Formats: sequence, structure tokens, C-alpha cells
Amino acid sequence: MAIETQDKNISRFLTLFGEFERGLNGQKESLAHQIRQTAIGRLQELAFPTRRDEEYKYTSVTRIVTQDYDLNPSTEIAPETVDQFRVPDLDATTLVFINGQYREDLSDSDAMPKGLRMLTIEEAMNDEQAKAHVDDLLTSAAGQGDDPFVVMNAAFAQKGYFLHVPKNTVVEKPLHFLYINTDQEQPFLYSPQNMVVVESNAQATLIETFNSTAPGKAVYFGNLFNRMIVRENAHVHHYKIQRESLEAFQMNNTEVYQYQDSTYSNYTIDLGGRIVRNNLHTIHRGQNVTSNMYGSFYGRRDQHIDNHTFIDHAIPHCQSNELYKGILTDKARGVFNGKVMVRKDAQKTNAFQQNSSLVLSDKAVMDSKPQLEIFADDVKCSHGATIGQLDEDSVFYLRSRGLSDTKAREALQNAFLLEVLEFMPHEAMRNYAADQINSKFAEDI
Amino acid sequence: MLSIKDLKVSIEDTDILKGINLDVKPGEIHAIMGPNGSGKSTLAKVLAGREEYEVTSGSVEFAGEDLLELEVDERARKGIFMAFQYPVEIPGVTNATFLKEIINAVREEQGKEEMKAPQMLKMMREKTKMVDLPENFLKRSLNEGFSGGEKKRNEMLQMALLEPKLAIMDETDSGLDIDALKVIAKVVNEMRDKNRAFIIVTHYQRLLDYIVPDHVHVLYNGRVVKSGDKNLALQLEEKGYDWIKQEADAVSA
Repeated sequence: MAIETQDKNISRFLTLFGEFERGLNGQKESLAHQIRQTAIGRLQELAFPTRRDEEYKYTSVTRIVTQDYDLNPSTEIAPETVDQFRVPDLDATTLVFINGQYREDLSDSDAMPKGLRMLTIEEAMNDEQAKAHVDDLLTSAAGQGDDPFVVMNAAFAQKGYFLHVPKNTVVEKPLHFLYINTDQEQPFLYSPQNMVVVESNAQATLIETFNSTAPGKAVYFGNLFNRMIVRENAHVHHYKIQRESLEAFQMNNTEVYQYQDSTYSNYTIDLGGRIVRNNLHTIHRGQNVTSNMYGSFYGRRDQHIDNHTFIDHAIPHCQSNELYKGILTDKARGVFNGKVMVRKDAQKTNAFQQNSSLVLSDKAVMDSKPQLEIFADDVKCSHGATIGQLDEDSVFYLRSRGLSDTKAREALQNAFLLEVLEFMPHEAMRNYAADQINSKFAEDI
Repeated sequence: MLSIKDLKVSIEDTDILKGINLDVKPGEIHAIMGPNGSGKSTLAKVLAGREEYEVTSGSVEFAGEDLLELEVDERARKGIFMAFQYPVEIPGVTNATFLKEIINAVREEQGKEEMKAPQMLKMMREKTKMVDLPENFLKRSLNEGFSGGEKKRNEMLQMALLEPKLAIMDETDSGLDIDALKVIAKVVNEMRDKNRAFIIVTHYQRLLDYIVPDHVHVLYNGRVVKSGDKNLALQLEEKGYDWIKQEADAVSA
């Protein structure tokens, strides 16, 4: 069957979807599959972005969408290997995914954090509390989405999750999605899809860590989608610490809807990946909302790390704080595009944004684009972008006390990124992130 | 210990040092004085290993080695300490971490094993007290937001912990109040011993009321134009530098 689309790379994924469907056999009639079909229908109408699109001016996705992906990679792994990727001293419920596939035997699935309900999308569609949210996901993300990667996530998600934190529930234990990807003969695609609803006065911590057993060479594509609904006076901490293979791709779409008096804090550390794009978007649906976005990244070799953030202030009396710090060396490229919209009615908005980068080699590049659009007149907004090099006086000072040139530079780079980690409330995560950054300096692949 | 012979140094084609000779023996304290622009800070910086200065001729020998061939960090590990005129602020690197790393870097060079944490902490606390800084200062970022006096005390703390063979103090006393000045003097006097030497570069005689030098040298126009004992410093205090300049200018004219 020939499928007509405007973009031949879209066709590639339509064909892949055909293979995927054939492998499903009896499950074709399931509700979950109906979502997929809706999504693939929508995907046909879309094209992948090119550098001519303003939002992708600095990031080409061509390399990502011209691969032939396998949807059924092996999920084999030695339990000891999994252990080396666990976060030390973190008291969390850990769910382990190998090449995107859930491995119940390696997970703490019987010890879900108290107060947290976790359903598959399928179960959620038959659940009274969850149904409306899932319906909404279907229409907006799968059926009417404009971003082909979001739509594609809905088409290929094998097992989405619906996490529900009921009213007034403080979930003490973080929920940790531990992704470990291995080296396969053919590049593979995995599509995690998480829907999180934190009801009013509830509180939860969500952690995603991404790892590779073959960081120098494994090729695969993680196409992630998170949608979070943070209801009145609810509080969510969301960590993403990414150490994928230097040849892997990651597209990470996170949409957060925030209601009155809620706080959403995102901590994104990107150290791995050949091409990484984060689209982090918070939408304000009530007053006195706080959105915090803290990110740091370190790119070397041919890495390309792109952070796109969008904070949409539509309601008065809301705050946003944004700090992204990155280091680029070798031929690596970094992009920061921080859009802050302050709509006409969003009076008394406080929006702070800062992006600072160190570019350590002649061939490394950083593009930083703060984008403030302010239509209200009584607001406090500030933004800043700096791109620089290591301060040689500081290097000299450290060396004059006996530290080698390498150690002095490492200490300064580390200190530069550490500022971001200070915002992390969980000590185990702060230490883990610091260790990951440290080991990145010593990375030799 | 340190032997400087006919040292000539320029920066961006301007000659700054025009033939310096200086011999420092273990146990000695040498004060280097001179008017602004005489080259005294340049001398300190060249000894510490700043790369922007070009040594056009001469030699510097330290403990039998060609000092000019050593990188700045090698010099430090071999026992040279430079107290900076303007210590750099380094946010994000805590004092405690920094001190631990530099102590171990020097120990490694000396073939000693890493110092154990409790011993390290005890030593840091002792010396922190000695330089009159509060203990919580160890947790703060290196020099970040410190007052001028605190920065200089921190230099003295590092010097006390690293126990160098030769310490060079580059106008450490400039801009300090009397309390901070006394702390500096106390540290130097406590560390003074027969195996250690100090070169104290200063613009003012005041510090030398508290640290009595063995030798005083006056630098003018890139040369040592007068050397003497502690009395020379007192003379300079009384009469200023003009008479030295006149004498020197008369000789070179």
C-alpha cells in the first residue's frame, strides 16, 4: 500500500507503523490501539520540521528521522548491569525500562509509593477519575497535535502510563523511571508516554534517568512525551538526568498545566546524546502559580543539546524562575531558546530567566535566544544570556596552589554547573547529578 | 635557595625588569620595596609563573632547578607559594574542598599519602583560627564576597597549610587595616624558620614594623638600586622614594 504524504521521512514512520500493527495481532481492536491509529492518521498530515522553521533554526532533526528503526529490540540485560545505573542512596520506587520496554522483574512494581495510583493508559480509559484526562490526551496530543514528534509518540507508545496522585496526598517516595538502553544491531525507537495528574494539595516527585550500556556507539531514538496536570496548591518536582549514548537521539516533550497556587519544578541535566531536544512548556491556568526550570548541560564531540522552554503567563500573580547553564567543547553545539509570554491579563507577573554558557573550543557553538514577549504593563521580568570562556585568572589562581591545569579547569567547570544543582531539594539527586557531571569530565570515549 | 641572575623581563615589548640580581638563602626574609611602577610586582609574578611576561634574559634557580622551566603548578608543588595582591573569587568551589585538594596535591609531590579526613579537618580548623577567620568560612565559596582583609587572611591560611619553602607575598599588606596586618605578620612570624624563606613585596614600610626583614631591596626602574638591612626601610619611611630616584637617575645619566 502506498501512502501519500508530503514528507518522505514521515512515510518511513508510516511504514514502520504498518509493521508494528502486523505484530499486534489480536490487540488491534483495543482502545489503546485506537489512539495509535488516530495518531498515525494525524501524522500523515504533518511534516518534520526543517531548519527553515523558526523553532528548529539551530537544530536539524534530519539525522534522527532518516534512520530505519526497530520497534522490538531485545530487553536482555544482566541484573548487575542494572544495579550500576541505580541512583545511590535514593529511597524511591524504581521502574526499570530496558530499551524502552518495562521489565517488571527488575522493578519495584509491588512497592508503589504510598498514595500514588499507576494505571496503564488502557486501564485509565476505563477509570472514572482518569477517563476525562485520557480523552483529552487523545484529542489534543494524538488527534490534533501539531508537533510530529508528539503525535508520533502517541502512535508508537507501547504502554503509556497514567499516574494519579489523589487530593491531599503527599507521596513521600519519589517515583523513578530508570531507562537503560543497550547496543543493538539495528537502531531502535522507544516512546515513553506518561500522563501525570496531581490533584489539589497533593505533592509528588518524579525522576527520569536515561543511561546507555554502550555510551560511545549505541544508536537509538527516545521519543518522550510527558503531560502533567498540577492542580490547585499541588507541588511537583520533576527530574531528568540524561546520560544517553553519544550516538543516540532524544526528543523530550513535556507539557505542564498548572492551576492556582501550584508549583512545578523541573531539573534537567543533559550529558549524553548525539542530538537532544527538550521542549518544556508550562501553561498557567490559575493565579499564584510558580514554574521553576533549572537545567545544565555538557556537550562534547559532536553532541547537540537544545533546550526549548516556553512559559505561558496568562493569569496575574504568577512567578517563573529559569536558570540554564551549559558547557560546550570539541565540536559540540548548544541551543537555549527560552520563551516567556506574559499575556495582557497577566499583571504582577515575576519572570526571571538566565542562560549562561561556557564555550571551551574554537569549534564549539552556543546559540542562546531569550525571547520575552510582554503584553501586560505591571510586571517584573528579567532575562540575561552570557556566553564566555573559563576565566584564565581563576585557572592561574588554582594552579598557583598546585592543582594541575586539567584539575583546575575541571574544578571551575564543575563549579559553574553546580550552581544549578543547588536548587535540587533531594540530596541523593543532587549528589547523583554532581557525580554524573564529574564522570562526564573524565569520559574517555 | 633562590638565585636570580641578571633577570630581564618585558611585557608587550616594554622592558620592565632590566637586570635583577637577588640571592635568597633559607631562613631569610627579604623585603622588596619601591615606588609604583618600579617592577616589584612584576618580579613577584614572574617568580610565580605568570605567562604574559616574557623573560628576555637571565636565570632563576630554585633549589637547584631552573625555575623558569617549571609550570606554575609545578612551582607550587615544589614549594613556592605566592600570596596574591588581588586573590581571585571563585564561586562554586568551597574553601574546604579547595584546601583539601591543594594540600593533597603538594603531599603527592612529596611522596606522602593523602591526608585522612579527620586530621585534615583538625588542621584546617586550627589554622583557620590562627588567621582569625570564623570556622563556617570553610564552607563558603573561595573568596566569593570576601572583604579585602578576609581574602588576604585566606591567602595566609593557604600559606600556613601548604608550608612552602619559599613564600612570595605580593603587596599583601596593601589596603589592610591594622588588625588584618597583624594577622599577616603573626602568620609569617610563626612560620619563620631556618628552612623557609620569604620575599615580601611591599609599598609601605608599615608591615615591616611587625615583620623584621633580614634584607631590604629598593627597586626602581626595573633594577635593584639599593640594598640594606631593616634600617633602609625606616629611612624610606622617613624620606620617601625621591632621594633614591635622584641617586639612581644621577648614576644612569
